[in-house]
Amino acid sequence: MTNGEIIENSRLKGDYFQVRFHAPEICRKARAGQFVHVRIDHRGDRILRRPFSIQDCEGDALGIVYKIVGHGTKRLSELEPGAVCDLMGPLGVGFSEPAPGVTPVLVAGGYGAAATFMLTKQIPQRGIFLLGARGEGDVLLTEAYEKAGYDVRVATNDGSRGYRGFVTGLVEQLLEERPEERFFFYGCGPHPMLMALAKLLRAKGRPGELSIDHLMCCGVGACFACVVKVKADTPEGWTYARACTDGPVFNLDSVYVE
Amino acid sequence: MADLTCKLGPLTLKNPVMTASGTFGYGCEYHQYYDISRLGAVVVKGIRMEPSPGNPTPRVAEVTGGMLNAIGLQGPGVDAFLHGEHYLPFLRSVGATTIVNIWGKTMPEYGEVAERLDAESDGIAALEINISCPNVKAGGVAFGTDLELAHQVVSLVRSKTKLPLITKLSPNVTRIADFARAAVDAGSDMVSLINTIPGMSIDIETRKPRIANRTGGFSGPALKPIAVRMVWDVAQAVKAPIIGMGGIMNGDDAIEFFLAGASAVAVGTANFIDPYAAPRVIEGIDAYLDRHGIKHIAEIVGALEA
Repeated sequence: MTNGEIIENSRLKGDYFQVRFHAPEICRKARAGQFVHVRIDHRGDRILRRPFSIQDCEGDALGIVYKIVGHGTKRLSELEPGAVCDLMGPLGVGFSEPAPGVTPVLVAGGYGAAATFMLTKQIPQRGIFLLGARGEGDVLLTEAYEKAGYDVRVATNDGSRGYRGFVTGLVEQLLEERPEERFFFYGCGPHPMLMALAKLLRAKGRPGELSIDHLMCCGVGACFACVVKVKADTPEGWTYARACTDGPVFNLDSVYVE
Repeated sequence: MADLTCKLGPLTLKNPVMTASGTFGYGCEYHQYYDISRLGAVVVKGIRMEPSPGNPTPRVAEVTGGMLNAIGLQGPGVDAFLHGEHYLPFLRSVGATTIVNIWGKTMPEYGEVAERLDAESDGIAALEINISCPNVKAGGVAFGTDLELAHQVVSLVRSKTKLPLITKLSPNVTRIADFARAAVDAGSDMVSLINTIPGMSIDIETRKPRIANRTGGFSGPALKPIAVRMVWDVAQAVKAPIIGMGGIMNGDDAIEFFLAGASAVAVGTANFIDPYAAPRVIEGIDAYLDRHGIKHIAEIVGALEA
């Protein structure tokens, strides 16, 4: 655990914010796909930590992208530079790296775009970033991915930007366009999107990893709140694994799709 | 530095601070943060004969002053617990004082689990009988809210083991002291209380319960006054040692339980917020005793002035 002083906490657009903490120890260890568990308010009547994917580490600055969705994120958005949050991390299993000659394809839904961003720094080869969002107002970080040399393609449900439809539509287009190319897929986003992506990639015989986010509590594997279904040799064909310690990144082969 | 040695009937602990079952995994999850053998005891998550998948998700919801959970006693089953590397063998290897929380879907299963653990009790300091989990359909609280069944299940477990026996009581009864008496009469060496209180939280936008089980056990700091009162009630009724828990976040919270009559305490939800919560509670108790010139923790047990 470490005290992270807020360096910057600014609105990206709408309800989306980016906060940067001074957290040298976490930055030294962090890998793409891992998360930090943040105690936002020590005195309030809301007691639990909030997990956030690590979006970026630049020097000693740890970046998180968040959306105001409830009490914790609302409170976080009100904190000014100089405020201090208690941070645990980096926690969890991050993404692996693709073999040489394999093109990384990062597939994100909404602010899932944050969880895959560090891959652009970790992986030597340039890849493709496919982003699905409800509308233009939910399209995030595309410029950062472009700056990192990624081929950026956007899908919106309402057609306000890019392809009209789901991000899986962009995956299908890519596979039709470059059927011979070796890809490795990295997914992060809402659960229904990840399940649709898992089904599609399995049907096409493509490898990948998914970051499966769930309502989390302790962050260390003790409480069994954040479990996700993984394939297992049980009568049901699945068992519950802990997103916080067994994941949040799971290989596509182990993900159980209902 | 006061003497924190804690005597609970047949069980002697190096200090009176344990972890509440279900909030500390199987110990190894926290050993990366500190040496868990420093704790009075590690009380592991509930164990039954077979592996259990637990409840569907979402399993927790944060509420004012605490949280609701309906994990549903997900667990590896007794065989994996006894022999799996992350369970009892790990606890033994680090020298942790281990208390195994046990449950069953049926009355006989409680006896079977106790018998198995008794037969391979190397590294097990005591058993805690869970008759108070509100989140499983069969077993759990069904035995903890009926005096006759509570007596029967404790008697059965008592007949299967010589290990020190703790009965974890449900707060969801009219008079908890009656259940403490029933447990002790049936051979329980001591009682622990309280388990969580069933609660509900609703997402008003979707009109759906915020946890999949619809209801869940309420825990956290807001629970403490209820727990302290129940410990006090039970302390008036039985002579057996009491392990008090419910909303303990720091040493001062723990002191309230001792004054009300608890001989030991357990730290629960606080572990989820601060992995170091339990050792900090030990330090806080020690600081209080020093501040008041008290030499031994036992001097404040039941020392309420009322």
